Amino acid sequence: MTRADFIVTLGAVALLPFLYVASWGNGARGEQARILVGGKEYARVPLYKAQRLEIPGALGVSVLEIKDGKIRFIASPCRGKQCVHSGWLALSGEFAACLPNRISVHVAGREPRYDAVNF
Amino acid sequence: MCAFPRYSLLATSYCLILLLATSSCSKQEASLYQEQILALGALVDISISGVEPERAQQAASTVADDFNRIHRTWHAWQESELTRINARLPGGAAFPVQADLMPLMVRAQELSRQSEGLFNPAIGKLIALWGFHSDEPIGPPPDPGAVAALVAQCPGMDDLRLENNFVQSRNPAVQLDFGAIGQGYAVDAAIEHLRKLGIENAIVNASGDIRVIGKHGARPWRIGIRNPRAPGILASIEMQGDESIVTSGTYERFFEYGGQRYHHIIDPRNGYPAQGLTSVTVLHRDAVTADAASTALLVAGLKDWRRIARAMGVEQAMVIDEQGTVYMNAALARRIRFEITPAPKIEIIDSP
Repeated sequence: MTRADFIVTLGAVALLPFLYVASWGNGARGEQARILVGGKEYARVPLYKAQRLEIPGALGVSVLEIKDGKIRFIASPCRGKQCVHSGWLALSGEFAACLPNRISVHVAGREPRYDAVNF
Repeated sequence: MCAFPRYSLLATSYCLILLLATSSCSKQEASLYQEQILALGALVDISISGVEPERAQQAASTVADDFNRIHRTWHAWQESELTRINARLPGGAAFPVQADLMPLMVRAQELSRQSEGLFNPAIGKLIALWGFHSDEPIGPPPDPGAVAALVAQCPGMDDLRLENNFVQSRNPAVQLDFGAIGQGYAVDAAIEHLRKLGIENAIVNASGDIRVIGKHGARPWRIGIRNPRAPGILASIEMQGDESIVTSGTYERFFEYGGQRYHHIIDPRNGYPAQGLTSVTVLHRDAVTADAASTALLVAGLKDWRRIARAMGVEQAMVIDEQGTVYMNAALARRIRFEITPAPKIEIIDSP
């Protein structure tokens, strides 16, 4: 093996972890959230910026929290609070909805990990 | 004369391999059009792959109209064709209904029969008694005497005579509620409509009642199955061709009263929320069968779900009990990939 072969081999080995993550890893973290009210897009917000959002819906205001690349409902005027119980959403393709308040949140990224979620 | 250096073969091989590997990592997804609508008390997601955005948008808009029409027709507690039918059923006389309403009622009757009555859309009165004829049920649970009185009247789909666009009930306790299959029915109708419009690759997802056709570009559609015990995804499955996946869970609609949780899947045999299983996932070609079967299997419980699945022609199903143990047949186990660590306790059985 020549010196050049050695350098190329070293380069290939060094690239392996990156290729592994790109091919098999959890490379589907969302980059932004689409917020829909009544089925219409209300806002698109990046997930890298921590903030609280107050979204007016059919019943009142739902409060969303964005932190560490994740988003969740933290308050909503519905009775069941199933949207709040949905917890954090981080992966592209994940979503949660407050149907009584007609607000839904969809995490979007370059390539969704799931095309649809069954529940 | 041009001489290649000695290392060129090895180096070129590595470079080619890397080039191929990186190019496959950054492969482009097929064009995907997505639209969300609110209908049938659910969030409906329509995804269409492989056609121009304008055409996809038109198709999705047509499907949205279908959902809204079905919502208006079959709503169980807001004024609809169904509430008008329910108002006339206790009279006992045969009455005419629109021809396009018959297929769902006839299919529901067949599915109810196959499920030995565990899927029973004739118990609308019980559903209403529990307060689930409301967008946000709050309880309290009904009086046990009232529950027992309704159960004693044994309303069932076989009490209905459905002939020549006429409906007749011989049991005054029958009130129809197609909540357990309405979404599946609408999903099937949407897929049929998309096909007529020439769409070959799509997903219609009505609050988790999913039917896929075709593929997403060169790959199958990837479906996540929500964890019934915690936020997030429990497992994933790849689907293509023409297939539906439906999950019924006790966590979908419920109310809490006096520190106890009461969910919306009522066991028609005793009139109370079904016990034993927390979620049932069924794969089948059509969504309406998967929808009815997921409800029937959840009511059947751990002892009888396999028998009812066989009777309903279901070959792939997964049930989860209250302890979180997953039971599924081998055909489904080969396709499913669990996404949580540690994976749940799993028991694989030979046939459903």
